[in-house]
Amino acid sequence: MPFSVSVTTSADTATIELSGELDAASAPAFHDTIEKAAAAGVGHVAIKAHHLTYMASAGLRSLVFARQKMGEDVRITVAGATAPVARTIRQAGFDRSVTLVDE
Amino acid sequence: MQLNALCLPATLASLDEIACYVLDLAGQAGLPDEPSYRLRLAADELATNVVMHGYRESPGELRIVGGMDEDTVWIRMEDDAPRFDPGANRVPPQTQLPLAQRTIGGLGIHLALTSLDDFSHSYADDHNSSTLVIRRHDHDDRPDDRCGDDPTPK
Repeated sequence: MPFSVSVTTSADTATIELSGELDAASAPAFHDTIEKAAAAGVGHVAIKAHHLTYMASAGLRSLVFARQKMGEDVRITVAGATAPVARTIRQAGFDRSVTLVDE
Repeated sequence: MQLNALCLPATLASLDEIACYVLDLAGQAGLPDEPSYRLRLAADELATNVVMHGYRESPGELRIVGGMDEDTVWIRMEDDAPRFDPGANRVPPQTQLPLAQRTIGGLGIHLALTSLDDFSHSYADDHNSSTLVIRRHDHDDRPDDRCGDDPTPK
């Protein structure tokens, strides 16, 4: 399933919706979107991952970038991650800095 | 039983074909979704590593063959990049540090090796050869945080 990413910004939140497969080939699009969210200066980045069927380390690297670019005060949430995607996030220990939410 | 080998250019554009090959093998072996995902993740990460850091995005070739026996499903990946043993060069990520203080390198190899049930690497005749193994049976629930697991031979 091809990867797609979209972002909408409202008030203090950038909502990033991901679908398909996020690997090293598709990660630059996610990275660009994270950069836009960082530039918007929001306090919350809400990643909707309900339709994200696969995520490799390249996707995780964009989350590291987001945290390093935006600082610890910005809340980053990943909502609706499928079991394997959530497991990958935990496997890398990222769940200590990125909040996984079921919604 | 062994599938036909795949010979691909070492580029990121080949990752989709590698995923299809691995998932087809997993399907033929009757692997459940969770170990199938782990095998695909490991193959994807190790292939990406060869493309980005082995060949350094210069032209090269990736050769992949997979098969199964009674107890395991396996993938063998070969390349002609400089010698690199992912197991020996593994740097566990600093999982206790906040992301803001983390260095990024090594994450893909960490994910690959902690996703597999067994991994081995050899280097001969100017070829790297990595073997990725997943057990076909006895898939207990694996802990979510497998940072301490290490499938590489001691």
